[in-house]
Amino acid sequence: MWVARVDEGWLFGDLSPRTAEILKGIPMLLESEDQRVRARLLPETLDDAAHEADWRAHAVPELERLFASRATLVGRDLAAMRKMQSGEKLLLLVTNQHASAWLAALNAARLALYALNDLTAQHMDMDSAEPATPQQLQAVASIHLMAEMQSVLMGEETLESCGPMADLDL
Amino acid sequence: MVRVKTKEQTETKSKPETALARPWNVIVHDDPVTLMGYVTRVFMQVFGYDESKARKLMMEVHKTGRSIVWTGGREQAETYVQKLQAHHLLTTLELVDA
Repeated sequence: MWVARVDEGWLFGDLSPRTAEILKGIPMLLESEDQRVRARLLPETLDDAAHEADWRAHAVPELERLFASRATLVGRDLAAMRKMQSGEKLLLLVTNQHASAWLAALNAARLALYALNDLTAQHMDMDSAEPATPQQLQAVASIHLMAEMQSVLMGEETLESCGPMADLDL
Repeated sequence: MVRVKTKEQTETKSKPETALARPWNVIVHDDPVTLMGYVTRVFMQVFGYDESKARKLMMEVHKTGRSIVWTGGREQAETYVQKLQAHHLLTTLELVDA
């Protein structure tokens, strides 16, 4: 996978079908009803039960609407991915206008994968000897791939330093 | 227009007003997933902090597990918490000890 800066935004190219499939899971992760995900994305905020109930009644629905709106936006961009001329690889455009939504959506998806796969901080270290199932290893790889995309969108990784980004042909 | 309050009305309202008047801490907690650069960026975006202050607070979160990133009135504190949670930072709201 490579990335290029274009006038409209960022172009991610040579995405394998597997990588594309993983990215297409982002909207679902954002709107997951799994309690572990909800507990992280919509965490308990106040100690006092009455205050917390008030928060749940007023602030949380707004956040849910925002997440749903982001899921729709990211989903549309992913649906617009097109095949590259050579072979099965795909091309994704993240426009400048959608970059903030993508950054937050990628963060949410990473947090959701972490929660859903019962990962620990030790699993997040690529050199960790922490025992992990194949599913957990796949989740960690997806989390790191999404982190690389975040770094690119934040301008932390120059396109040159990125080089060919790790793909997920696992 | 000023309304004259009865004693009972005044007493009924005094408790929540006192609680509202007390300052609240907006607290961001560490998590092993969110990128440090992302946290810094969100602090700058939400509070308008300069990069140096945002980075300092981010490092406090990273090293100590949490940081009080803003203190003030409840309404504004709630707005900030909602904005930070909108970016998926693990954020709580706590009444400052009297």
